[in-house]
Amino acid sequence: MMVSLHEQQSESLIHSLEQEKGVNMKENVASMIVFLLLLFLNIRLLKGQSPPGKPFIFKCRSPEKETFTCWWRPGADGGLPTNYTLTYHKEGETITHECPDYKTGGPNSCYFSKKHTSIWTIYIITVNATNQMGSSVSDPRYVDVTYIVEPDPPVNLTLEVKHPEDRKPYLWVKWLPPTLVDVRSGWLTLQYEIRLKPEKAAEWETHFAGQQTQFKILSLYPGQKYLVQVRCKPDHGFWSVWSPESSIQIPNDFTMKDITVWIFVAVLSTIICLIMVWAVALKGYSMVTCIFPPVPGPKIKGFDTHLLEKGKSEELLSAFGCQDFPPTADCEDLLVEFLEVDDSEDQQLMPAHSKEHSGPGMKPTDLDPDNDSGRGSCDSPSLLSEKCEEPQANPSTFHTPEVIEQPEKPKANVTHTWDPQTISLVGKMPYLSVNGSKSSTWPLLQPGQHNTNSPYHNIADMCKLATSLDKIDKDALQSSKTTEAAGEEKATKQREVESSHSKAEQDTGWLLPKEKPPFISPKPLDYVEIHKVNKDGALSLLLKQKENGDQTGKAGTPETSKEYAKVSRVMDNNILVLVQDPGAQNVALFEESTKEAPPSPSQNQAEKDLSSFSTAPSDCRLQQGGLDYLDPACFMHSLH
Amino acid sequence: PLKTWSHQAGSLLLLLVSNLLLCKSTASLPICPSGAVNCQVSLRDLFDRAVILSHHIHKLSSEMFNEFDKRYTQGRGFITKAINSCHTSSLSTPEDKEQAQQIHHEDLLNMVLRVLRSWNDPLYHLVTEVRGMQEAPDAILSKAIEIEEQNRRLLEGMEKIVGQVHPGIKENEIYSVWSGLPSLQMADEDARLFAFYNLLHCLRRDSHKIDNYLKLLKCRIIYDSNC
Repeated sequence: MMVSLHEQQSESLIHSLEQEKGVNMKENVASMIVFLLLLFLNIRLLKGQSPPGKPFIFKCRSPEKETFTCWWRPGADGGLPTNYTLTYHKEGETITHECPDYKTGGPNSCYFSKKHTSIWTIYIITVNATNQMGSSVSDPRYVDVTYIVEPDPPVNLTLEVKHPEDRKPYLWVKWLPPTLVDVRSGWLTLQYEIRLKPEKAAEWETHFAGQQTQFKILSLYPGQKYLVQVRCKPDHGFWSVWSPESSIQIPNDFTMKDITVWIFVAVLSTIICLIMVWAVALKGYSMVTCIFPPVPGPKIKGFDTHLLEKGKSEELLSAFGCQDFPPTADCEDLLVEFLEVDDSEDQQLMPAHSKEHSGPGMKPTDLDPDNDSGRGSCDSPSLLSEKCEEPQANPSTFHTPEVIEQPEKPKANVTHTWDPQTISLVGKMPYLSVNGSKSSTWPLLQPGQHNTNSPYHNIADMCKLATSLDKIDKDALQSSKTTEAAGEEKATKQREVESSHSKAEQDTGWLLPKEKPPFISPKPLDYVEIHKVNKDGALSLLLKQKENGDQTGKAGTPETSKEYAKVSRVMDNNILVLVQDPGAQNVALFEESTKEAPPSPSQNQAEKDLSSFSTAPSDCRLQQGGLDYLDPACFMHSLH
Repeated sequence: PLKTWSHQAGSLLLLLVSNLLLCKSTASLPICPSGAVNCQVSLRDLFDRAVILSHHIHKLSSEMFNEFDKRYTQGRGFITKAINSCHTSSLSTPEDKEQAQQIHHEDLLNMVLRVLRSWNDPLYHLVTEVRGMQEAPDAILSKAIEIEEQNRRLLEGMEKIVGQVHPGIKENEIYSVWSGLPSLQMADEDARLFAFYNLLHCLRRDSHKIDNYLKLLKCRIIYDSNC
């Protein structure tokens, strides 16, 4: 503005000078001087010097509401040294005061001491900037100390890690209010805030502490170095700046005791693991089998899977008892005689157990006539089962131990088979005495053909017969066959009787004709089953239905029930000798059978019989349902 | 007989006086239900409650002023005109800490009472007039209503405190009369706004004064200047 003014003035002067050039030469000189002066001023302006710019009061603060300080920012310098003065006047007063203290607050500041500070009063403050060229005044600032309180940060920040008993350690933070603030009189009421973080962490964790000057930090990471800061705020003012950082190292909270315990636990568990691994490695299989027991496969007595693998069918099948063709010599040894009836023995019915001869595969039988459980097939009271589905292992297993147990039965050549002794059956059933005492009640059976034993032959014996038929004497064959046949019947009957009524002590009468050797009858023999026991102790035997019932021949259809009313005697082999009621039909039957029994077979017939007998086993076997004896009727039929 | 009677009277009187004295120093009792006459709350509790109220009133006043200024009068320099315009400035209240500490606590209490009483009327009218403002700002109005209510409660509490601290002398109820109502009702918008501005400015200041005085008194009387 001044520059333009001067320019205007100079211009107007020049103009007037020009206009009045010739009027006054003296006036020319005077105006020249003025012009030069103006020019000189312009030159000075062009050098950049000016009055100071307007200062600006930017901040006023009171640390304790008793004093305060104002700071200003100078304006443009103006190129010359500038002098600042601060002036103020208070609300309700007219007197203007100057700043009492320019130093305490630093450069460009004014410090108002207690004497000069009034609360709840507005101060109107201005700053004057003056330099050689001029001065400038700042805009007035209206300041009420009440609202500009910003204290210093708290002091004496102390950190301590406390370890109370039975509790986790915590950090105890303590501090003091800033020195200038008067909290004790209540002039200022301070509220505090602390913040902390682990040294390497990025974020601070802030906690408001209220008016207390201590604080407990509970959530600490052991082994870390923590930094802590605190700040304060008056009841109606600004927050202070954060105090300088205090740091503390949190110790690790593992006590020696804890470490020892953990080491012990670790070692123990390692040892246990090693033991388990070692046990599994050593006895892995047995443990596995203990945990997962193998499913037992089907067991057939005498069935040797290895034989099957080898393909020795003959040996395998022979184990079942004479089931192969042509019969081999080994069969004989595997066949088991498990019944022996001795005629000469005391004829008392023995208790139905003979434990010394029970084979390994046999169990003590109960006396339920229909209960087959636990017994070998030969134990079954029902001598005829409906069907024989497949060769069962029982007979063979039953046989083999008996083979072992009968050392007196050597694996001799076939001729020995016709020895009555060998033919004699040794009862292996628990309720029959096997060796030893033999009944002599059946003279029919042993007309000099065997020793005191009266043989009750089972299938095994029949098989023996079959296997040895090639080599036997024909006569012996005949007799033995009949013997076999008769014996078979008797054996079955006896078995049934024994199984059902073990303790009967009555005389038994043999049903079969005693006078003659029971020849092979054209019709098949009947298998009788104990039907009931009369109160007299008489056993009522059932004739079991057979599939080949039409083979019975002229005896007619077999009666389903026949009364064998009387037990004549009991032999000490636990063998019952049954007699038939006189009125019973069976007598007729048996008489017939006996009549028919002794045709004298010729050699041809024998041979024929042999051949048919050889073939019979399969048929008969099929009928038996696994019984380890053959239906003598089959044989008889075939032999005829 | 007269001698015994006099003895009896004397002992009775003694008993009565001791009772009265004992009654004075009863321990703190639970909070009184409103309207209870003979309820005795401890001075400590009274002061604690008073300080809480005064603190709250100032906080609300400060917020209210800031909101009003921001909304209506920002940058218009009203502060320049609001110099020395509070109706309570005639009350000679202490202006700094030394003055406040030199004044006797009874006088200080009385001063508090005076200021509080002086604001009964203005606060009432403030609420009425803020309600009548165009686009009545809810925040300001709600705060005004609450301040008025709390101020009444604080006054009751202070009278109780005074009754406990120095009973007996019941001073005349001195207070400043407020005459700013016509200004609040002026038709001129600017004038009215300034009137509101001024009133809120003064309210903020005086509420701070009361709060500060009460905190000083509490620390002095209850905690023996050792807060």
